[in-house]
Amino acid sequence: MKEIVFENVCKKYGKNTIIENLNFTVHSGERLILLGASGCGKSTTLRMIAGLEDITSGNLYMNGQRVNDIVSGKRNLSMVFQNYALYPHMTVTENIIYGLKIQKLPQAEIHARLTAALGKLELDGLENRKPKDLSGGQRQRVALARAVVKRSELLLLDEPLSNLDAQLRVHARKELVKIHQAYKQTFVYVTHDQVEAMTIGDRVAILDKGRLQVIDTPNNVYNRPANIFTAKFIGSPGMNIFKGSYSDHFLQLGKQSIKLSEAWSAYIGEKNCREFYFGIRPEHILLYREKHRDTFAGVVKYVEEYGSRRGIYFETEGSEVVAVTEASDFKPGSNIYFAADSDKLHIFDSKNKKNIGYPEVYHGNIYQYQSV
Amino acid sequence: MRVMKNKKNLITQNTMIAYMLILPALLVFAIFMFYPLFYTAYLSFFDWNMIKPLKVFVGLDNYKALFSDPLMPLVIKNTVVYILILLILNCAAPYILAFILSFVVKKGRGFYKGAFFLPSVISLVVGSILYLWILNPVSGPAAVAAEFMGINIPIWSKTQGLVIVVLSIITTWKIFGYNFIVIFGGVTGVPQEIIEAAKIDNIPLYKIFFDIVLPMSSATGVYIFIMTIVQGLQYVFTPIKVVTQGGPDNASSNVIYDIYQEGFLLYHTGYASAMSIAAMVLFVILLVIEFRYVEKGIYYEN
Amino acid sequence: MKIDSSLKWHVLLCIALFVSLMPIVFAISTSFKELSEAYGNVLGLIPHNPTMANYLRIFQELPLNQITLNTVIVAFAVTVFKIVTSVMAAYAFVYFNFKGKNLLYIILISTIFIPFTMTMIPNYLIISQIGLRNNIIGVILPQLSDATGIFLIRQAMRSIPLSFIEAARLEQAGIFHIMFGIVLPLAKPAVISTGIMFFINSWNEYVWPVLILKDTANYTLPLALQLFISSEGGTDFCVAMAVSVVTMIIPLGLYLIFQKYIISTFTSSGVKG
Repeated sequence: MKEIVFENVCKKYGKNTIIENLNFTVHSGERLILLGASGCGKSTTLRMIAGLEDITSGNLYMNGQRVNDIVSGKRNLSMVFQNYALYPHMTVTENIIYGLKIQKLPQAEIHARLTAALGKLELDGLENRKPKDLSGGQRQRVALARAVVKRSELLLLDEPLSNLDAQLRVHARKELVKIHQAYKQTFVYVTHDQVEAMTIGDRVAILDKGRLQVIDTPNNVYNRPANIFTAKFIGSPGMNIFKGSYSDHFLQLGKQSIKLSEAWSAYIGEKNCREFYFGIRPEHILLYREKHRDTFAGVVKYVEEYGSRRGIYFETEGSEVVAVTEASDFKPGSNIYFAADSDKLHIFDSKNKKNIGYPEVYHGNIYQYQSV
Repeated sequence: MRVMKNKKNLITQNTMIAYMLILPALLVFAIFMFYPLFYTAYLSFFDWNMIKPLKVFVGLDNYKALFSDPLMPLVIKNTVVYILILLILNCAAPYILAFILSFVVKKGRGFYKGAFFLPSVISLVVGSILYLWILNPVSGPAAVAAEFMGINIPIWSKTQGLVIVVLSIITTWKIFGYNFIVIFGGVTGVPQEIIEAAKIDNIPLYKIFFDIVLPMSSATGVYIFIMTIVQGLQYVFTPIKVVTQGGPDNASSNVIYDIYQEGFLLYHTGYASAMSIAAMVLFVILLVIEFRYVEKGIYYEN
Repeated sequence: MKIDSSLKWHVLLCIALFVSLMPIVFAISTSFKELSEAYGNVLGLIPHNPTMANYLRIFQELPLNQITLNTVIVAFAVTVFKIVTSVMAAYAFVYFNFKGKNLLYIILISTIFIPFTMTMIPNYLIISQIGLRNNIIGVILPQLSDATGIFLIRQAMRSIPLSFIEAARLEQAGIFHIMFGIVLPLAKPAVISTGIMFFINSWNEYVWPVLILKDTANYTLPLALQLFISSEGGTDFCVAMAVSVVTMIIPLGLYLIFQKYIISTFTSSGVKG
């Protein structure tokens, strides 16, 4: 299966820089997700792999071979487009086997691959329909079938689930992983949906304004975000970040201070630095109705209902904080008291905004990723 | 009850406004299009020379004469040959160029579109004269240029067959730009992603053209096919009149020019009308094709 | 490798362009040549002794001012009438529902596919009957029955999102407000380019005027142009090219100015909506 290496890859349109100095590797056979907001360059990155966009500078390698100047058709890859790009005048079968026929594969081989794909993607009985007579989910599966029958070493997917409704999307996520396990191609998958990224990806690469922010496993992206951007981007709502300073076991945040655990105190103590950004996920903030020891006061501004849980946006010392709780009796305007679980803190360098790491006792500590 | 009545009033009032809006257009169409069409049919049953006060009813005689006219086979043959050349130059060629321009070449699209369209705003009389000069077998630029390569341009105006080719070139010069632009519009209606999907599957260009672009833009294709025939026949009148007057020996005459010749030069008004009606059969067939396939939209609707 | 393959296609496109644009260049160049040079230096694009003599001659031999004025009057009248009636009719076809709407539209649009020759004889009789033969009003009238404007402007109006109209209706805007305040401004590119094409086509009209105009003083430019051609040979091509340039200069100028509108209108006219 294909291994892809980006080496200082840049993409410019005239004076606009779309992609800046991209360096990373997609391992053979893995499912890599390119995640980011719209306009971050993730689709451009995918299209450069596909050969649909020229590379302005830098090198792109596939299995060690430089492919900058190799046209799409010669790169041995397949792709699922966001709008599926099914040929509207061809039936399901014709769509799936069109490329195979052009490759002049033997009839029996084409038939075998078609039958397998139809079965695996639950398209039996739809063989002679035209795309306009299919539902969104069926079209998406036909596009996938067309991509997998090629048995290429690399499958590119450009927001393949974004046109499906929410329920279908959950089902399709599982299907995609199953398809990957069956064919074991290298997967490169573009999405703006972090739930999709976390559930499908072996690793997630997050892009922002044409730069790679992080590339890591879903677990680490959530639990050990490499920088502030990642911390805020992943999780819904994103991580709360405060600027503050450390002195002698205490974190000073404005007038308030939080006592740190021994492990953190020792870890920060070695850093020889005082100014930091502190982060805490909304789900790791503890909320109380009454004042307790070591709690701080705030006023609820806004409550966001998620069904099983709620997002409570409250104000303290002029800054907005969000916490997620299962309790349902916090109302806008009411007083609130909160405490941060100091075992679940994230600390970032105040200059380069990178994660300073974690004390040894927290290694292997997994905060469960939660999505709403 | 009152609401119902008001609603009904509103509908009739709206209908009135709509008819008023269409009326001016409808009036000129009635006088200068629909009435003449019926009157042409009417005249085709008479023997008349446009001047005599009396029209003599002759039944189907004009049509019978039409089918026994010794010139007719030649005129029809000329028309068919002319249309075939026109279809190659004005359907096939612009289709291929539009395909190249929309999916292969990335730069200069605006320039090419603007430049290709340019000749179609120029009078066909001008076009006829330009080509009369350029293709002049003795002193025209084409002849002089050909001489360098040791080729002689034949005296096409006196050569059967060749004269039709020259007429086709002149009308092509006029039609090509419009056809090219409209086909370009149809071809770019094929989503870029579809072409990319084909490129990723290593589909050769000519296959993309025949298997994907052609069927997906077929509504435009059929429209242009029809317009090429209709406009080609209409436009060719001018170069025939200016350049050849139908000669040599009717070698360049065709259905449209023959109607003019019979009607306005020989004053066989009834006979010319019968020819018009016979030619109408062709246009009605084209019309049916247009509404069957094009207005419905053949394959691709978003 | 990518550059090479696209270069090959550019060469092909440029050859096609060369073939289609070269005649115009030759016409302009020859119109400034002396007759002897036109035959001696055929391929030279820049005349050795540029001369205005050919242009002066056509002004001497023809009432060119009158002829140009005739052409302008005809083209202008045809354009204004056709644009106004086309906009009105297109508006009715898009924004009103009435009995027989689709049938009427189909009948009107069908006439686009009927060559003028089919109605030529009765039109000639009508114009003769009302005494407008050899008169530029007679040139104007039959040109008015042309459905292309209704088609193109309806196409443009249909692409205006209905929500704009609905929003205006919620504000209780009347038909004139909606037409002049919303629809026409949004359909402006199509209306302008259709108008320009009407003007150009009428300017170039030849078949009909040649049938009914007799006196040189009533001629339009394409007819005057024909006076300099002799099918028997002996045509002075330098003068013929000068008249050609005079005839094509206005359509070319209009086209170059409004090129963007025109191209985009015709590009989208092929896409059925």
